[in-house]
Amino acid sequence: MKRKKKHGMSLIQKRNFKGFLFILPWLIGFIVFYARGLVQNIQFSLNTLTVPATGGYTLDWVGFDNYIYAFRVHGSFKQVLTSSLGNMLIDVPLIIFFSLFMAILLNKKFKGRGIVRAIFFIPVIMGAGAITDALELARTMMNDGINTSAGEISDAAAAASVSIEYFIDLFKNLSIPDKVLDYVVGAVTRVTEIISASGVQLIIFIAALQSIPGSMYEVAKIEGATAYETFWKVTFPMVMPHIITNFVYTVVDKFADSEIIELAYNTTFDNFDYGLGSAMSMVSTVIVCAILFLVVAIIQKRTFYYN
Amino acid sequence: MKKTISEDGRKIRYRKRQKKLNRSMAGNSLLFLLMIICGVFMVLPLVMIVNNALKPLDELYQFPPKIFVRNPTLENFSDLFVLMNTSWVPFSRYILNTIIITGGGMVGHVICASLAAYPLAKHDFPGKKVLSEMVVLSMMFSWTVTQIPQYLIISWLHINNTYFALILPAFSFGMGLYLMKQFMEQLPDSLMESARLDGASEWKVFWKIIMPNVKPAWLTLAIFQFQQMWGNTGSLFLRNEELKPLQYALQQITAGGTARAGAAAAVTFIIAAVPIIFFLICQSNVLETMTTSGMKD
Repeated sequence: MKRKKKHGMSLIQKRNFKGFLFILPWLIGFIVFYARGLVQNIQFSLNTLTVPATGGYTLDWVGFDNYIYAFRVHGSFKQVLTSSLGNMLIDVPLIIFFSLFMAILLNKKFKGRGIVRAIFFIPVIMGAGAITDALELARTMMNDGINTSAGEISDAAAAASVSIEYFIDLFKNLSIPDKVLDYVVGAVTRVTEIISASGVQLIIFIAALQSIPGSMYEVAKIEGATAYETFWKVTFPMVMPHIITNFVYTVVDKFADSEIIELAYNTTFDNFDYGLGSAMSMVSTVIVCAILFLVVAIIQKRTFYYN
Repeated sequence: MKKTISEDGRKIRYRKRQKKLNRSMAGNSLLFLLMIICGVFMVLPLVMIVNNALKPLDELYQFPPKIFVRNPTLENFSDLFVLMNTSWVPFSRYILNTIIITGGGMVGHVICASLAAYPLAKHDFPGKKVLSEMVVLSMMFSWTVTQIPQYLIISWLHINNTYFALILPAFSFGMGLYLMKQFMEQLPDSLMESARLDGASEWKVFWKIIMPNVKPAWLTLAIFQFQQMWGNTGSLFLRNEELKPLQYALQQITAGGTARAGAAAAVTFIIAAVPIIFFLICQSNVLETMTTSGMKD
């Protein structure tokens, strides 16, 4: 009783205070390592940064000039921004559907399931820097071979490959609208990209499927639900929160290596225009964040939470 | 095939009917066919890496390239070991560095993220919503562009050129916190309520109730973080050769160009193999959890 009086907190407050202590290690790390970078990035985007020969850096306040320059003067910023956002809108739903579908298949009991899961995780591992370097080396070695026998190979390739244009023309003649055709062709050419980008999402979905209590399926079975009904009434609502998780992850992942970030990076580190690069990354971050919060808000309303 | 005699004397087959309750054989095999097709795409680079590591030099340069090795040798690995012995920092040092950086970053991140996720998912306090939104925002931010502020921070803390420059920032990635929060939100409140009624402290609730129940989540996070830390060369913050991780040393070997193609192939094999083994170990543990939810209602 005495201790309680000293703190002057109710039980709930005390519990919340303890909860805050739980967050503290993460929060300190976040503020020290990341929050300052965030603030500094905003600061850089509103200034012109110059690096004098004596070292350090000086900032000259220019207001929103960097943003205005990016939109009005810069040659490719707007195109790159719209195209990378467009790519994201095509890829993200496809990746989520594919990974959910695959996760359900991989959640079944069969022999060698662990190995099959590992196979679907391989692309994530292959993305590591050293591996791409080594594969690049292997590719250049093969290119040396290509140069020596370039002529005959190109002839052989032309003879053997299936002409995609022929099929596209065929579908066009069937009067399928161009827009639909574009989307389908876009989706098909991305197949490997989509499969290889869905490794982490797949694991999150598997973990989500694992955490559905078995009793729910039991009840559904006893009540005589078909597999189709079980999926829509049990599995889908239960993994719904993780569809949001995966949506956020996929957008973040896609955004991190999109062209717009590459452009911002090149502007910053190749052209040494720190202000403009920061402004570009700010604009794209704000737009993607807006999309993200909007979509999450829409899905969240329809999401079923267990409590 | 179990046969029994019913009351009116007719023979009834039980087992056969039970089988029909599941999906048809044809549907199953169709699904597995699809899975195999997708799987082949994914496994092909790995098959090539394994085979490349076993190819003698002349086969590595063969054109058109063959996926499968003809005369497998371990020459590439012995080349690699010769190269390792000539490096002026002992090779075991690189391995030790990697274990410290990868292990420290992974364990620290999983613990910090889980600790922070628990109150964010299950408690109510002022500023909770702002904090959760900040986490998502921090994930969206392109850290490639903010390398300069990050470097300034690291040198301001005077942890430049130490292991901490790589380990400490790893503790506070937003992704792990978000993932753990999403999983913890799914846990029923009554589970915690009953633990509290039995007199468990917050710490005990977290450690004995929450963590075992979200085991699939934090194992996933461990895999994820291992992968991230394993691929880190640390070239931005580490200057001393004796502090650099294995990944850096291996990258130097692959950068040796065509003369070291054999050793490079062996290196690629090692880099790819370790995360896959780690993944297999973690995945087999994920399977054993969540068989009972501990609820009776």
